[in-house]
Amino acid sequence: MKRYLLKSFLGMILTLFITITLTFFIVRAAPGGPFDRERVLPPAVQANIEAKYHLNDPLIKQYIDYMTDIIFRFDLGDSFTYNDHDVNYYIATSLPHSMLLGFISLTLATVMGVGVGIISALKQNRWPDYTAMSVAVIGISVPLFVIGPLLMYVLALKLKWLPTSGWINGRNGWVTLIMPVITLSFPYFARIARLGRASVLEVLKSDYIRTARAKGLSSAVIVFKHVLKGSLLPVVSYLGPAFAAIMTGSVVVEQIFRVPGMGTYFVKSALNRDYTLLMGAMIVYSIILIVMNFLVDVLYSVLDPRVSYE
Amino acid sequence: MSDLKNEFDQPLKGNSLGADAWRRLRKNRMAFISFFIVVFYVLVSLFAPILPIYSYTAQDLDHQNLPPSFQTADAVMVNQEIKKIEKKMKRDERTEMTADEKAQIEEFREYVANEKVVVDGKEINPNKKRYLFGTDDLGRDMLARVIYGGQISIAIGFVGTLTAVLIGILVGAVAGYIGGKLDFYLMRLVDILYGMPYIFIVIIILALFGGNIMALFFALSFVSWLTTSRVVRGQVISLKNSLFVEAARSMGASSGRIILQHLLPNSMGIIIVFATLQIPSFIMQESFLSFLGLGISAPFASWGSLISDGVGGMTSYPWRLFFPAMAMTIFLFAMNFLGDGLRDAFDPQSKNEL
Repeated sequence: MKRYLLKSFLGMILTLFITITLTFFIVRAAPGGPFDRERVLPPAVQANIEAKYHLNDPLIKQYIDYMTDIIFRFDLGDSFTYNDHDVNYYIATSLPHSMLLGFISLTLATVMGVGVGIISALKQNRWPDYTAMSVAVIGISVPLFVIGPLLMYVLALKLKWLPTSGWINGRNGWVTLIMPVITLSFPYFARIARLGRASVLEVLKSDYIRTARAKGLSSAVIVFKHVLKGSLLPVVSYLGPAFAAIMTGSVVVEQIFRVPGMGTYFVKSALNRDYTLLMGAMIVYSIILIVMNFLVDVLYSVLDPRVSYE
Repeated sequence: MSDLKNEFDQPLKGNSLGADAWRRLRKNRMAFISFFIVVFYVLVSLFAPILPIYSYTAQDLDHQNLPPSFQTADAVMVNQEIKKIEKKMKRDERTEMTADEKAQIEEFREYVANEKVVVDGKEINPNKKRYLFGTDDLGRDMLARVIYGGQISIAIGFVGTLTAVLIGILVGAVAGYIGGKLDFYLMRLVDILYGMPYIFIVIIILALFGGNIMALFFALSFVSWLTTSRVVRGQVISLKNSLFVEAARSMGASSGRIILQHLLPNSMGIIIVFATLQIPSFIMQESFLSFLGLGISAPFASWGSLISDGVGGMTSYPWRLFFPAMAMTIFLFAMNFLGDGLRDAFDPQSKNEL
């Protein structure tokens, strides 16, 4: 187990390193620079600005400087567009909002998904199953940038139950969480529910459940003690990709509901060619993704003793 | 046809994998209906240039934001005018139009019914168009835009999937068949790439290199071959020691021939299923990027960019959001049902997983 953990930790570092390097060179290879404006600056001014941000250094030197700053000082550099603070500040202020949104959505999607999956499987081919699976198909087929605006249209504009946009630190408080969380968790709730249903059905057919029934255990004990644990495995292995997708989705959801999260900064900085902020956001996203995948791996091995990593 | 007969004297024929799958697919009603919906969408996209629809780029600034209707544009415009006056009447708490307003409407009706513009040397009335899906903020026909948007979305779905699947097959088959060190390194590479946040890389590429269709194709297919390669590799490994492969090898078939003639045809079922399920995810990704303003740029449209445009005016002009969203959702529905149906058809024992 230890050896496995060490190995996958090294793999994580390698993935992260490749991601950072690849992004760094893609960003620099793009035509145009961060300080190209419609109004052409005098060459001397342009050169001074570029010198200030070390953009005139050879590419390799820029790369090495950047990497040393990250590795030894956790310093992501200064933003090219926002002059008030450095990149660390912008990420530190926006990341918690994105994380809050992401974790609540993932938790909701998992809990609801597993619950609905179990109910559907136990009531297979009866109305709870049909209802749940129809809802799930909608969740899989309707993109979240359709669900989001529709929710906004119905709940905020027509019924006026909720504010159209904003975030918990605004004057409307916690109710602003409702629509972004529903929008973001719905597609993954749907997938987890389908996955959960299929795997519960599979487990229900297995011998050890028959044994449990034959022993005369109550159905509650069978479902919660025996079925649940066995059927969670495929769901757990889906959590890694699901979290990656939720991170991606949160970029759109943040735009729709004006959440001051990292996704907004990411897209804006990509369009502004704000290299340092863009790279910073990218690195943070990669770290979150890689750590989540790692945790899912570990969780999987805890849940399933048959999986050994020797 | 062979002349084998069963005990009831009915001719027996062997079932090919494809025929067998087709038979099972036909039994699955939802999947079968979905199959026709997909065919319908593809046909409409293919024949869009010869369908009797208006141009998707032609702007008519007199026809901005007209609601969907079976009536011609002039009638719709007069109705809009009447509604405006009714609103004013409500504000002033009147129930009757003034003579002035009545005259104004009559004059407007007269004007739009007889307006003439010269197009290609012919005098025509521009207000005789029918906008079944309404118009957008530049007076472009939404029906045409939804159809042409669908053309691009579907093309990206199909071509992107094809590219991704081809790369995936190549890597997976080679890794699985040759095995050893090459397999090890290729699969470690796939593992490492798996951990990367693709969509973010794609966003960067599109934002920096400009959003043209080719960049979009490349960026999306570049990152989507990983799962296919794993699936194909697994399939190839499970088949490569079977008797028919050994027979081929003993007759002196080359590795390339064994992969192309024996291993891949036997993995085709799973590849088709996989590709079908990949198409909706490609379309979703494309529209996701277009929604962020990074995918398709004007004058072209895709479902994603149309939805993105529609969201802006959804309070006053809901049809601009509704129609593209509906068109896209129905197609994705059909694709998902078809994919599930195909999986059950090709592999009846499979669980109904994602």
